[in-house]
Amino acid sequence: MTGTAAIEAAALGKRFGRRGGWALRDCAFRLPAGRVCAVVGPNGAGKSTLLALAAGLLAPTEGAISVLGTVPGAARERVAYVAQDKPLYPQLTVAETLRMGADLNTDRWDASVAQRVVADGDLNPKSRIRTLSGGQCTRVALALALAKRPELLLLDEPMADLDPLARHEMMGLLMAQAAEFGTTIVMSSHVVAELEDSCDHLLLIGGGRVRLAGEIDELLAAHVRVSAPAQTALEPHPVVESRTTGRQLSALLRPSTPLDTDWHTSKPSLEELVLSYLRNPEASAIETPETAA
Amino acid sequence: MTALATVPTAHPRPARPWRSVLRLQRGLLIVWSVIFTAGSGALLWAYGPGGSAAAAAWKTKCSVHGCDWSAPITNYHLARAAAEFLIAITPYVAAAAAGALIGRELENGTAGLAWTQSVSPTRWLATGLAVPAALLTAGTTVLVLLHRLLYDAHQVPVTWNWWSDRTFSANGTIALAYPLLGLAAGALAALLLRRAVPALVLGAVATALVHAVLGLARPHLWPWVTRTGSVSTGYNAPPNVLLGDQGAITATGAHVSDTCFTDRTCAKAFDVTGYYVDYHPASHFWPLQLMETGIVLGATALTLTLAFTLLRRRTA
Repeated sequence: MTGTAAIEAAALGKRFGRRGGWALRDCAFRLPAGRVCAVVGPNGAGKSTLLALAAGLLAPTEGAISVLGTVPGAARERVAYVAQDKPLYPQLTVAETLRMGADLNTDRWDASVAQRVVADGDLNPKSRIRTLSGGQCTRVALALALAKRPELLLLDEPMADLDPLARHEMMGLLMAQAAEFGTTIVMSSHVVAELEDSCDHLLLIGGGRVRLAGEIDELLAAHVRVSAPAQTALEPHPVVESRTTGRQLSALLRPSTPLDTDWHTSKPSLEELVLSYLRNPEASAIETPETAA
Repeated sequence: MTALATVPTAHPRPARPWRSVLRLQRGLLIVWSVIFTAGSGALLWAYGPGGSAAAAAWKTKCSVHGCDWSAPITNYHLARAAAEFLIAITPYVAAAAAGALIGRELENGTAGLAWTQSVSPTRWLATGLAVPAALLTAGTTVLVLLHRLLYDAHQVPVTWNWWSDRTFSANGTIALAYPLLGLAAGALAALLLRRAVPALVLGAVATALVHAVLGLARPHLWPWVTRTGSVSTGYNAPPNVLLGDQGAITATGAHVSDTCFTDRTCAKAFDVTGYYVDYHPASHFWPLQLMETGIVLGATALTLTLAFTLLRRRTA
């Protein structure tokens, strides 16, 4: 893959406070432009820190991150970010919030996009932000993000406080954006199933490190779920996870050579893959070739 | 590769964060306008009808037997005192407001909302401080000019000395400098603590501390004038001056503290040959004002440098 990466990290680390623990360490990955990328990991894994670093809200403690080919601070105009708790000014009305968006942006700002997103949610422009529900706030925050016409859209747990119907609508909105403008979308979640259908790229973060990075199809193709008699030697294939139940051994492998034909194999689901890596922190991190930084 | 989302325009309209500041701080802006208008109104009233009435009352009521404080005089002094109080508290209000508002933005994440539009954190802070600084400076300038107008008219002279603390503070450039220091201190407190209420307190306390220290140092910021008197004339200070150190002079020319007071025999025993008094005449008003203004502006610049450095180190 050539061209500018949407996000590229090298030895990236962030520690809060001089004596605090590392929220993120030794992160190296490359996210090609035009992808819809899921950032997955348990709570406290460092997903929010990674997104805040990419948005230029935090400075890295060590290493470097580049966004759209430049430092995050220089890409502000072309990057949109929606924080997990969707901060907005409670004293403003919806219409005033959108006007504020116009004031805080250059003429990249497209007021009609913002108005359409808000109108689709049946939001009264005269409502004060403090009177809105969580889902309605998400919609306003998303309107601010989309009206920037970003090249890269960073969403931290965007669906957390939405009901299933609103989730579906929101996802439709985002996918339309990605399809129409080629916007790279990066969204974090700790619910894998939520992202499986809409994302084509995965970044799995656990314990502040990148555990898995790559195209979802390639990652799934690179792994095999194996059932074999107990005591079967799995070498030389790298084992992500193996479990013996009675006389049966079931394992998730990353085959390096063609597998033994006696074994019963199946394709893992994305959720199985993610869970296997998260349950086994000692399994080595992998990246598909094109995303190796 | 994907196509770019937009084609950049030849002359992009820059972001206008100052409009957003005005929109967000509309409430404070209205409160400040009302208070400023009230203060200016009080000073204008005291200069015009209030002053005339007080002066008339002063002339009729003051006799060789003393003065009777009638209502017009009381009202006149109230108006003056209120305006001086307003000028005196402006730095603290500025510090508290800057601390609370910037602290709140950092506390609940709305600062991040602004930084992920197209405004850098540095520009966000610069605009957030420049807009209130401009409004405060404009308002305080008008108040100080009106106060000087009233002071120079000198219609009712009681307790109206150039050197008294409140009057000195309301009559010159230090009244413009302290609110700026307050804003800077509030901003630094907010960036340090990242929470609204503690930043409000720290900003106001830091401003008060600088104010108190400089208040003590104030008379020493410009060389005193020393006047000596003989044993027969005693202390010989002119009227309407800010008095400093005073004491006795011995035959060797040394300045010592005066333990004898008017006791001539005691003075002889200590070899007192005269008396000295340090003071600032009214002509020292501007040198004292400008020295203090310079120091306050220097402290403001230092505080702002710290605040911006902190912000730049934290964000990308």
